[in-house]
Amino acid sequence: MTVKSSIARVTAKTSYWFLRNILHRGGTSLPGKLAVSIDPDILKTIQQDFDLIIVTGTNGKTLTTALITRVLQAGGYQVITNPSGSNMIQGITGTLVTTKIKKSPNGKKPLAVLEVDEANVEKITAAIQPKMFVLTNIFRDQMDRYGEIYTTYEKIVSGIKNAPEALVLANGDSPIFTRGNFTNTRRYFGFDHIVPTDYNPNVAPINTDGILSPTDNSVLHYDFITYANLGKYFSTTDEFSRPELTYRITSVDKLTPRYSTFSIDNTPLRIEIGGLYNIYNALAAFSVGREFGVAPEQIKKAFESNAQIFGRQEAINVDGKDVIIVLIKNPVGTNSVIDMMLTEKDEFSLLALLNANYADGIDTSWIWDAEFEKLHDTKIQAVATGGERYQDLRVRLKMAGFTDQTVHEDLSEVVTAIKSLPTQKVYIAATYTAMLQLREQLSAKGYIKGGF
Amino acid sequence: MAGYDISIAHLYGNLMNTYGDYGNIIALTYYAKQIGVAVDYHLVSLGDEFNATAYDFVLFGGGQDYEETIVAHDLKSKANPIREYIENDGALLAVCGGFQLLGKYMLMADGTKVDGIGVMDHYTTNMHDEKLTTLKGKRLTGNIVIKNNETGETYHGFENHQGRTFLGKNERALGSVVSGNGNNGIDNTEGVIYRNVYGSYFHGPIFTRNGNLAKRVLTTILNKKYSTIDWQTKLNLIETETF
Repeated sequence: MTVKSSIARVTAKTSYWFLRNILHRGGTSLPGKLAVSIDPDILKTIQQDFDLIIVTGTNGKTLTTALITRVLQAGGYQVITNPSGSNMIQGITGTLVTTKIKKSPNGKKPLAVLEVDEANVEKITAAIQPKMFVLTNIFRDQMDRYGEIYTTYEKIVSGIKNAPEALVLANGDSPIFTRGNFTNTRRYFGFDHIVPTDYNPNVAPINTDGILSPTDNSVLHYDFITYANLGKYFSTTDEFSRPELTYRITSVDKLTPRYSTFSIDNTPLRIEIGGLYNIYNALAAFSVGREFGVAPEQIKKAFESNAQIFGRQEAINVDGKDVIIVLIKNPVGTNSVIDMMLTEKDEFSLLALLNANYADGIDTSWIWDAEFEKLHDTKIQAVATGGERYQDLRVRLKMAGFTDQTVHEDLSEVVTAIKSLPTQKVYIAATYTAMLQLREQLSAKGYIKGGF
Repeated sequence: MAGYDISIAHLYGNLMNTYGDYGNIIALTYYAKQIGVAVDYHLVSLGDEFNATAYDFVLFGGGQDYEETIVAHDLKSKANPIREYIENDGALLAVCGGFQLLGKYMLMADGTKVDGIGVMDHYTTNMHDEKLTTLKGKRLTGNIVIKNNETGETYHGFENHQGRTFLGKNERALGSVVSGNGNNGIDNTEGVIYRNVYGSYFHGPIFTRNGNLAKRVLTTILNKKYSTIDWQTKLNLIETETF
């Protein structure tokens, strides 16, 4: 290590300590910036200290990263990881230079498992040669900010091309990951729980993106679809089909809003969070674990002993009502939430909140691509709408057949709104800033502690 | 009651449906159902035949650039029946990419020229066009309000496009821009009306927020198909969603 890089690290660590202990602020972005300003090559300098695993994709990065971390720790690795939300280059640099890297107890090289924003993969790999890329999925997400799925994927591919030796471990159920002219070894994970009994070609619903075959742009057919455009696809015009899977979901045993049980390569597993889409995150973590030699039994334990990492769906009690808060932000995510509600055994009400600020996506047209009509197949008893763009959501749900919804123009009545719903169980689905406002209300009235 | 129904073709609905375009069909169905009209949905996609006399309404939405180039190629084979449908006063709503592809040509962001099928006279250039000194390079994004001066109706929506469309002969604007950018950010026009074709840059579900336009188009469709019934009065009796 050079003198310059030593100074850079010390400065970053000092600023990190100062931010945390004196200013009581988190964040790794400022220390990252300081380190780079002293030694622009700081990432190159420190890379010999660990092996890097990059986790990227549209959805599921945070939970997948957390699960991989637990799985690898269960396998005896020392693991460095970035806090949720710190997935741009500055924050990642900050994480790497401020974390104390200790040798793994069993002498294995420490691993850095980093959630990386899609557009930042290239910046990281310009400095560090990762050992592995984990690709979760690519969906349309607030297109006013992120652009189209193919441009997003091209950004990731540019990053992969910087590291030709790295293993690419990708979601094989997502057709887009079969694209890209890079030479890296690829291995795929996916669902293999349904054996097609006869030839029954099926296509994705019309509001699904990314359904063209990479070979001849014909519309893909499926033996089965898990959600969105994910599933066991094949072309009817040539030999193209889903690549062979190395890690497979061999059975889906029980789906509930609180937990799922399933098997990967015939190992029975359980995760403490609902939603089929979360099984993909577990599958990705299982796959990484196996690549690094972690035994299935250890992975099973890692999943079961870490209920607190599945913190995305929050359950709170509002004067005796069981309130479950879920974030919605794009059609695929919303459909996944609706699919989860299909597994709810109790009668429930839905309070849906829509804002259209920058962090939510300023275009609300996406709500028309989410299949709210499917809510009729759940045990839903009442629908209420609110948020700054309550009108859009009110009309969406009205046209989906929910004609007697209650409308709350002002979010300050949210507690009253919850109490007025007829069921014991209440789901609140909110966009990002609506969620912040909701939490503020719940916090002000003492139902939850603090804000974010 | 006699069974009334209308048949809808969703052109490339599985490829050009990126901004909630399907919401237009949901809205049309919503109003139709309340006046006792059933709606039949047909997806017409790559390699499928477009039958000029089989449909009462056609929706052609917007898509990602990649899908749009694939669609542009396939669309050529459907150009003649689509022209026949339009010239026979068939009702059609074209949004964003669909609007562009019915015209003469469009210049994509990367400079490539994609041929439209030229069944309408407008053309689309891109935001880097040297001739467009005003707003050059700016993506036209945000909430938009327009007014249709012939009907006095106001329409609300959201636009997000880099294409700059200029209307041709026999075409008039869907509305004048009250706030926002419209077709090209220069001439104050938004969208197009030609015979019973409506085009717009309003993202996806223009009918959902503008029930007045949805009802107008539905009246046109039904008057053409069932001319002895006073559809206007029936539709006037049900609530219009506009916001």
